[in-house]
Amino acid sequence: MTAIRISGGAVHDPANDVDGEIRDVCLEDGKVVADVGPDARRIDARGMVVMAGGVDIHAHIAGPKVNAARKLSPEDRRGDPLDRTEILRSGTGGVVPSTFATGYRYSLLGYTTVVEAAAPPLAARHVLAELRDTPMIDKAFLILMGNNQVLFDLIRQGGERIKDAVAWWLEATGGYGVKLVNPGGVERFKQGNGNVDSLDDEVAGFEVTPRQILEAIGGAVDELGLPHPVHIHANNLGVPGNAEVTLDTMRTLAGRQAHFAHLQFHCYGAPPSQPVGQLRSRAPELLEYLSDHPEITADVGQVMFGPAVTMTADAPVSAVLRDLGADKWINHDTEVETGCGIVPYRYRAGNYVHALQWGIGLELFLLGQNPWQVMLSTDHPNGGSFLSYPKLIRLLMDRAFRDDQIGRANRRAIRRTALLDGLDREYTLNEIAIITRAAPARRLGLSDKGHLGIGADADVTIYHDRADREEMFATPRYVIKDGEVVVEEGELRRVDEGMLLSCRPGFDPEVERVLEPLFGERYTMSFEHYPVRDPALREPARVVEARGS
Amino acid sequence: MAELGPVTCAGCGLLCDDVTVESSSEGVRLSPECAVGARWFSERMRRDDRAPAATVDGEVTDVESALRRAAELLRGARRPLVHGFEGATVEDARAAVALADRIGALVSTGAGAGPWPGAPAVPLRGASTATLGEIRDRSQLVVIWREDPESTHPRLLERLGLGAGSLSGAALAVIDDRDTATAGRADVRLSFPRERDLEALTSLHVLQRGLAVPSDDLNGLIERVRSVPHTAFVYGPGLTDGAGGQRRALALHELVRALCHERHVVTLELLFTPGTRGADDVLAWQTGYGGAVDFAGGHPEFVTATGPLEDVDVTLLVEPGPARVAEIALRSLPAGPGVEVWIRTAAAGVSAAGTAHRLDGVPLTLQAPEPDDAPTAAALLARLLDEVQR
Repeated sequence: MTAIRISGGAVHDPANDVDGEIRDVCLEDGKVVADVGPDARRIDARGMVVMAGGVDIHAHIAGPKVNAARKLSPEDRRGDPLDRTEILRSGTGGVVPSTFATGYRYSLLGYTTVVEAAAPPLAARHVLAELRDTPMIDKAFLILMGNNQVLFDLIRQGGERIKDAVAWWLEATGGYGVKLVNPGGVERFKQGNGNVDSLDDEVAGFEVTPRQILEAIGGAVDELGLPHPVHIHANNLGVPGNAEVTLDTMRTLAGRQAHFAHLQFHCYGAPPSQPVGQLRSRAPELLEYLSDHPEITADVGQVMFGPAVTMTADAPVSAVLRDLGADKWINHDTEVETGCGIVPYRYRAGNYVHALQWGIGLELFLLGQNPWQVMLSTDHPNGGSFLSYPKLIRLLMDRAFRDDQIGRANRRAIRRTALLDGLDREYTLNEIAIITRAAPARRLGLSDKGHLGIGADADVTIYHDRADREEMFATPRYVIKDGEVVVEEGELRRVDEGMLLSCRPGFDPEVERVLEPLFGERYTMSFEHYPVRDPALREPARVVEARGS
Repeated sequence: MAELGPVTCAGCGLLCDDVTVESSSEGVRLSPECAVGARWFSERMRRDDRAPAATVDGEVTDVESALRRAAELLRGARRPLVHGFEGATVEDARAAVALADRIGALVSTGAGAGPWPGAPAVPLRGASTATLGEIRDRSQLVVIWREDPESTHPRLLERLGLGAGSLSGAALAVIDDRDTATAGRADVRLSFPRERDLEALTSLHVLQRGLAVPSDDLNGLIERVRSVPHTAFVYGPGLTDGAGGQRRALALHELVRALCHERHVVTLELLFTPGTRGADDVLAWQTGYGGAVDFAGGHPEFVTATGPLEDVDVTLLVEPGPARVAEIALRSLPAGPGVEVWIRTAAAGVSAAGTAHRLDGVPLTLQAPEPDDAPTAAALLARLLDEVQR
């Protein structure tokens, strides 16, 4: 492998308390090293900014729902083709790009690790195959467990086997962590019983409540010591007044590690019975709770004005969008495990609700005191494409630009946020490095990523230090993956396959004797054939240890 | 007598993975019984081992020579078409689309309406769908629209909880004017000609809105739907094939969408071959488009018309051919001497393992209960790509 000396750049490595210091970064054999020999390639980074490769803690890039969205909206990609080259596969872009395009464009943006945040375990083979066709980035996926009927059975039976069952499922699928989406609510929707309103609504036929699901599975993940804590898409996404349920969820998990996905969609005030025009922000209260509870982190799920595709396991949310007049709508029920809803969408600056959502996201970024706790995401592609990250970074770093954008948004909505209260905070480069790589990597338990200390993965992004932060973060000067330069001056120069990241905590094999009859009752796939064993799908992978292993 | 299993049967799009295969001098028997599956295994387990590994213009040759000739054909092609996929694995499809991308070919997976999948309805408005288990466990009414799964997918009704002796209590409604085996099992039977499908679907939509339509049959069906919280509509080429297929499919999805305001209604599309769904999924994730894609411009373009087919001069067929033998085959057009290059491949699900996507999208592993030395289509296509680039 190539040895590289990145020379003279301003290094922003907040995990190692390095804030803009001019220093060399040396890479060899795919790792950050203390020094390299005189024959090493030298990259002159004077006048440039050096950070670890970006880490996206929450995006939707692979699997049956993403692929259904591609099939649903050919018009999204028609105007955005990517030509094949000597080294690159062709593809299409748009809000939901093809797999190769997804990998290439994340890399061109300086990202080197991405988490697919919601995969049905039953579809693991599909998810793994798509990720194998998503080059340039290391990738992991979280398995959906919040509406799993077999786990409901185990919870009702006392929950003793939940920990082993969670570990078994991770082993069976190649997953990295556990995702709970609207726990209990999706099963109720599939039953035809609407949604849940509170954590104590019972799921008919199973005698479990969202609170019990959170406690049992969140507790199991905590006990297993998975590298990433339970990743929660709370109940009542998008519903006015849902901040109460979000806070209740946080309190229910008190003392346990937990990550809350796309918090922006979960911190709305106003009772559900009020007209949507009464929707207001409760972001400050949520942030206050976070500041008192360091065991909880979140990503924002910022909405960006423009096209998006809402895709979620939270199928009742999509049904609401359908009823609001969505042009296209997909619903897909996955037996035993989850649901799925897809609606192409557009966020408009003049729309009251959209502008409020935009403003609430910015409140979470700008009012939060601890960037290690509140990370950057657009819940790609739900709030907008990952390609909008540079613009979002500019909104955080450039107050004049932000004020201009605020002036274009629905005035009545913005007045219900803190954005007009003289909020002059501008993120520093180190804070950007925290919310885009250091904090996500740390929260994912990826000790080799998100920083540039000795022994870290040689995933590095080097930016021109431009006043226009959007331009700066949209076109890195160099991107280095596993110690090799893959991007130079906005062009892909080398293809890296990227690595699958998985977690395989041990489990008591006796749990299979418990699971097998439950599978027989509920699944249309046999228990014997459920686990993914094909090495072509599972390997190569880096297995990240669980603390409880 | 050899007993193999349980294995996944790729005899149709259902991909039942609980199948035990008994092979003896008297033939192949499956447990649970399935005539379609037994025939599928029989054709592949009793292949003529004297069949050559490859031929060029009908002459027996070795695989390397055949691949070189195939590469020459593709390099010289002005308008190559990659198609077939009926028995292809996901791995085969990934390799085939990679090759098509490199040589600028047309690709058709066979998914979608009509003989040329130019006009699927789902991209117009979407769909409500479900896996088999969801329908089995929730639907109290299953409506099968002009299909005869008892003949084509013999275990479908059993797997939807409508088998003989089932305790689910679900009712079966069949819309068909043919006296099929499935129609013979129906609790509710509507018999009108195919030409009235669009009118019937539109009328059901009108009835769903509470307006009057003078049809006892359709009134009865919509009352049935209204009387239960969960219904599933099963459809396939009987509805979507031929002129107007897209409009009929769209009318079904619009009806289901309207019904979903008050209850939970889903659809299940019957696919007849085990490779079609997986190949279409691969095409969609690698290009952004399902159905048919043209790489001629250096990037994927969504094909919605039959025009691009007209200039095709070389076709690459990815299993199976007319003899239902696992193969890849290249044919130069027009007509000419027939298949110019033919290479035998291992039969996925019998002699080679792989992944396939069930008709409801669930991915399953195909096992190799009788492995042999023949290469997989995926391996051959990867070698062909190397040869083309040489």
